[in-house]
Amino acid sequence: MAREQNHRLKLEDFGPFVIFTALYAAGTLGLPEIHLFAYQVKVGEIPSAFVAMFGYPAVFGLTLGQFIANLGVEASPVAMLSPVVSFIGLVVIYRLRKASVLAGCVAYIILTSAWLTYLLPITEGVSTTAAASSAFLGQTIAVLIGYGGYVIASRIRASLGATAEGQQTTQ
Amino acid sequence: MRTTETLYLLQLRNSKGSAKMVPDSHPSEELEETSPEYLEHSIWPFLIAMAVGAAMVGLFLLVKGVVYPAALLLMLSFGAVLGGFLYSDTRHWRSAVSKSLGKVETGGVLGPFPVDINLTVQLIILTEILLFGGAFAMYFAIRVQFPSWPPAGAPILDETIAKVQTLILISSSILVEWAIWQLKRGNQQRFRIGMVGTTILASLFPILQFGFEWPHLIFDKILTPASGFFGATFFLLTGIHGAHVVAGVIAYLYTDSRAFMGQYSPKNYGFAEATSTYWHFVHIIWLLLFALLWQGSRIIG
Repeated sequence: MAREQNHRLKLEDFGPFVIFTALYAAGTLGLPEIHLFAYQVKVGEIPSAFVAMFGYPAVFGLTLGQFIANLGVEASPVAMLSPVVSFIGLVVIYRLRKASVLAGCVAYIILTSAWLTYLLPITEGVSTTAAASSAFLGQTIAVLIGYGGYVIASRIRASLGATAEGQQTTQ
Repeated sequence: MRTTETLYLLQLRNSKGSAKMVPDSHPSEELEETSPEYLEHSIWPFLIAMAVGAAMVGLFLLVKGVVYPAALLLMLSFGAVLGGFLYSDTRHWRSAVSKSLGKVETGGVLGPFPVDINLTVQLIILTEILLFGGAFAMYFAIRVQFPSWPPAGAPILDETIAKVQTLILISSSILVEWAIWQLKRGNQQRFRIGMVGTTILASLFPILQFGFEWPHLIFDKILTPASGFFGATFFLLTGIHGAHVVAGVIAYLYTDSRAFMGQYSPKNYGFAEATSTYWHFVHIIWLLLFALLWQGSRIIG
């Protein structure tokens, strides 16, 4: 179901866009909260690496999903800027997909962790050190789980492609 | 909106029964050549418009408690006109399909759709955005009037059913995408399985909402439309959304019936994709409702 890596969005991209929105929003709001010190490990962060596979529909979907998830929690207005930071990070993953998806994920973790280090002392009243460590750890766990899933999905996709090519050659 | 079956039937009539596949040509050319009366001289748009007006007057009289029999009569007149239109529009579908269309040949195109389905869907989505935009604006306009939300005395809603409904919507969205992906690869069997599965999942949503959650809230007197602003906005927003879900289920049933008649192919899947797009939109609205009405209702400001 992977889409062509084309920047122009089409109506058929609406499905993946909504699915990624739902994965983030429902994953964060609907599933049990995992707390790591002051920071909540968002299950919705797990699909971030899949941006490399699904492109901009996933980027916009995850960004909107984070916005919706933030609507449902008590947070200060400054927290509503988090989707903007995530959007930039997700674009970085997408842009680095040909060089290294892992490098993109690391950049995403650093960017979002830096933002949370600034945000958490304001919203949760924790120290900067605690915020930095918990944010970095929480983001790393979530995004790397997703990266593992991405690697598996890429291999399955490649093997399916090879099987299809093999069948065409046989025929 | 006319379907390919109806269009083909008109062409059958005009060609006096000579059954030929419709060539893949421009829709407007087909209409001009074969059925100039197609878009004109129909009494139904006028009748439906009048019936909608009558139904609205009837609804107003009913709500205000004035002249009940007249109100019901006016509302029933809408049902009668709608029934007549649906009957006249669909009565030949079965014979038209069985006589002429059958299954689409591999790589073939069933026939021109009279309108651009993508444009139609975009217009529908636009109107839905306006509708739900207005509804959410109302919600926020009311919410900011209160120092805390939900207002004092409003209950904390149980999330169990809402979470199951969210899971249902995510599953159905993924499944319908998979089904259409299979169709594009030419796998009709998996496409049909995916579409039927999606329809079953989709139909569970209104069953849970109107069969379990609403009766539980209303009859156990936990929350009713008369419970104040929170109750009123809750039932209004979830009611509008629920009506759209029901419409989506009906659209899926229709899409499924066409799928089992073999009317979709790797090159002809516009209606199925249009239905799925509508469904995805309904899904995204639900996410907002879930965040605001269930999760957001826990926030005491």
